[in-house]
Amino acid sequence: MDGVFLQSGTPTGTANATANATANASAGGPIATLPETISGVLGLSGTLGDVVGGLLGAFLIANIMLGMTALAGPWAKRKITAAFTDRIAVNRIGPFGLLIIVADAVRLLSKELIVPEGVDRPAWDLAPIILPFSALLGFAVIPLGSGLQLADPETGIVFAFAAASIASLSLVMAGYASNNKYSLLGALRSIAQNLAYEIPLVVTAASVIIFAGTFQTSEIVAAQTETLVSLGGVSIPSWYAFVNPFAFVLFVAANLAEIGRNPFDIPEAPTEIVAGYQTEYSSVYFVLFYLGEFIHIFLGGALIAVLFLGGPAGPVLPGFVWMIIKMWAFFLFTQWARSAVPRVRIDQLIEMGWKGMLVLSFANLVLTAILVGVIA
Amino acid sequence: MNQWIAIGALGVMGVGIPIAMMVVSALLRPSVSEQGKTVVYESGEVPTGTAHVQFNIQYYMVALLFLVFDVETVLIFPWTLIYRSALEQGATLGQVLAPMLVFIGVLVVGLGWAWRNGAVEWIKSPRASRRKTERQS
Repeated sequence: MDGVFLQSGTPTGTANATANATANASAGGPIATLPETISGVLGLSGTLGDVVGGLLGAFLIANIMLGMTALAGPWAKRKITAAFTDRIAVNRIGPFGLLIIVADAVRLLSKELIVPEGVDRPAWDLAPIILPFSALLGFAVIPLGSGLQLADPETGIVFAFAAASIASLSLVMAGYASNNKYSLLGALRSIAQNLAYEIPLVVTAASVIIFAGTFQTSEIVAAQTETLVSLGGVSIPSWYAFVNPFAFVLFVAANLAEIGRNPFDIPEAPTEIVAGYQTEYSSVYFVLFYLGEFIHIFLGGALIAVLFLGGPAGPVLPGFVWMIIKMWAFFLFTQWARSAVPRVRIDQLIEMGWKGMLVLSFANLVLTAILVGVIA
Repeated sequence: MNQWIAIGALGVMGVGIPIAMMVVSALLRPSVSEQGKTVVYESGEVPTGTAHVQFNIQYYMVALLFLVFDVETVLIFPWTLIYRSALEQGATLGQVLAPMLVFIGVLVVGLGWAWRNGAVEWIKSPRASRRKTERQS
């Protein structure tokens, strides 16, 4: 446990960390964020530099996420599920069927938009915008490595949680406004799910904050570069997944519920309530829901990476590549769970959340606090 | 450098990209004026009534509990932030840990009370359980 006693902001330079992670951790002062880099390159300063750099940086980050979603949604998801169920899936268009992404994008965008009878119009149209908005907003504070961090406010990780939770507002709007009974049930289920899992998620994150002593995402990442143990010359970094594996498992489970993936995809539950809140959506609105959901999966993966897996840190490869690998590992895990685990019922979920996860997460928080207090 | 300008910029992108996609789609997609398809989907049945009805939300007690615990997490977060640095600056466990243990303890007692009362369970509607017993007898 020696490695974890790192005051936030202390420069570190462990042998194990990559050049990039070391640069991140040992910069000493505040790390240059992406907008600062961009405005520096363009030679702009002041508010104009902030706005231009911010917009360009935001455009870049948003497009990285869109690109990952495009790869994950129409292609990787099918390929992974096919591999689990011993099928081949998309392989007709382009190498490995990759051009299905273009074909599907054009196909879905050029579908007719059917507006059902009796929909609650402004809410019905706003809901598909809010879901990708909330997921993208969370990425503002995530350090993607290699200097790709849009902003690094002191309340970073709390902001990411807050932004990610806006999503359930979108699901409720969509479900209620659709004037469809399946959608209404989906919306109500999504609220119940959020109620059951928001608190275990946040409290488990709080147990990590006890170690790191900061909300700033870059500092949380920096605190994890310290060496935990050295095994035969290879130093294991003090990633909080190694320091507190129990919290890691809890957080991953709660995160699956937060993003609504199997076994907690209760708001959609295609075999029970058609598609839940998105039953009545077609064309671009459906694409936006799909997009928002996938960005949410990646945001969940990014939060896990930042809190428990050392963020963009890793050997040999540059930080950005490691961050992408970690996010895709979580995506693969969600798809694995999708193929392997049956869906729980909503009343079971509430009992699991309130009688299991909540109690366990508080036990984790208290035990972590006591251990840190006694050892320190 | 104001961090929140950049976050706001991503917020603008988060709204702008969906709207741009909507515009592209509006240019690409056809519009066929035919009425039958605007009926809401109910597995092929003709829907009866709207979905905007009074509905028995069976977890409302859980929602009330959630409010309590949500406020609690807000109060826990600042404590986690200062906990270690307070210890390192010489505060005793009695000063930094005990009050929070009491605070969490009170809430856990509350949770236990709600648990015993059956508030954290999916409330079974009396009519549904009556019907079930009628069917069985």
